[in-house]
Amino acid sequence: MAELSEDRIAAYAASRLPGARDVAVSGLARISGGASRETYRLRLRYVDADGRSVERPLILRRDPPASLIETERHIEFAAYRAFHGSPVPVPQMLWLEEDPAHLDYPFFVAEELTGFESSPGALTGEAYDPVREKLGRRKWTILGEISRADPEALGLTTVMAKVAPEDCWRRELDYWEGVLDEDEVTPQPIIRAAIRWLRANPPPPAQKISVVHGDFRTGNFLYDAAGEIHGILDWEMAHLGDPLEDLGWGLNRIWCWGQNDLRGGLLPRDQAIAVWEQASGLKADPAALHWWELFNCVKGQGIWVSGAKAWSDGETRDPILIISAWRMFNPQDRAALELMGRL
Amino acid sequence: MKPDPDAVLGYLAGLMVQTIAPQVQPQYLAGVIGMSGMLLGMAAQEWDRAADRLVKENRAIRGLFRQAERVGLDADLAQEVRALAGGQDDDLRISALESVNTGLRAALISLHAAVETRTDAASRALNDAIWAELSASTSRRAYTGSPF
Repeated sequence: MAELSEDRIAAYAASRLPGARDVAVSGLARISGGASRETYRLRLRYVDADGRSVERPLILRRDPPASLIETERHIEFAAYRAFHGSPVPVPQMLWLEEDPAHLDYPFFVAEELTGFESSPGALTGEAYDPVREKLGRRKWTILGEISRADPEALGLTTVMAKVAPEDCWRRELDYWEGVLDEDEVTPQPIIRAAIRWLRANPPPPAQKISVVHGDFRTGNFLYDAAGEIHGILDWEMAHLGDPLEDLGWGLNRIWCWGQNDLRGGLLPRDQAIAVWEQASGLKADPAALHWWELFNCVKGQGIWVSGAKAWSDGETRDPILIISAWRMFNPQDRAALELMGRL
Repeated sequence: MKPDPDAVLGYLAGLMVQTIAPQVQPQYLAGVIGMSGMLLGMAAQEWDRAADRLVKENRAIRGLFRQAERVGLDADLAQEVRALAGGQDDDLRISALESVNTGLRAALISLHAAVETRTDAASRALNDAIWAELSASTSRRAYTGSPF
């Protein structure tokens, strides 16, 4: 396998830019971009067919040998494309390449949104005190926009697996319980008890079928010091389903980042829900939301055990997989206990 | 070992996260070093307490299994928990304690599922005791800097 190089990327870009000449790539650097794909920053330069010089900062996301989660990159790519230009800010997608002949693994290329912050840790600092509430309102408003959107009108019902409103919960729970069955590196008595409760107390059918981002949380969007959000990232778990699934994931205690009265480190729980309801035009029935919040503890533990298994099996040695396991196993259990009234 | 390994690991963690990582390029490698420092910091916390935590947890679960003798379980499960209840931690290496703990927690899942829907007093008391131990286990495993 050849090294990922600027020349190889430039050769690929040239093949996707008919009429372009002098195609060159510079500044290739791997950056921290989540645990599911390798993320690279690069700068593309070329002269287009009309003779204009073009320079674009880009992001290349390539499948790794193993990852925290198994995802379909064409679904992620389609989700980004569907929301581009909508009230949900996302970077523009350029190319999806599933043939590993070009860069050894499938990948996609997107514009880079430059000059913004994504770290949840930075948000806990005093510098963000004045805009924390504004950011929280923007965050849950944008999630409301995702929930409100019509998946068919977005063209996503032809890409994502369809699901009936009454089947959303079972499909998701079956999937993540299966992940635990397969990847569990140590017994999970708390999460297994949660699964039994979830099966015995199913939620009502989804009030609508929405696009579910799948990982909508602080840390997966680009923001600035003025409290504006410029890009929703990491759509690799996007699917059709109950919009309360996304709301429940974002409210998960593990994403409070040590600020336990602020969900996502940004807003009190009730306020976050109210903002989402207003933006989505939907209702967060308390019992149904409780089900989805507890489900998301199962999903979270499924993600963490998958990373631990991938590392333990030697599929990959990326330390982010160990961080995920060591750092998240226990808080995820505690979040589940709290929701079951047993903490 | 002197100096104490937890102190050494904790110092190295701080060095990597606060001093080395900010000076490393490219950004991805700085992130790897920062994460490695965080892992050392967590290992430092675990170094001193891991054996104590596991012995306490194993002892607590065996206590639950003894309590289960007052509950009418099906024969296979009753036999399994009775056998496990009589065990003890002779080998205090972390790997040995973890191995025993894995077996105990797996059986605890079966026991919990068997009693949680029962309404008799002994089963309800055992169910509450299991939940109390599960909660206590997360307190024992908590570490500084946890998200929750």
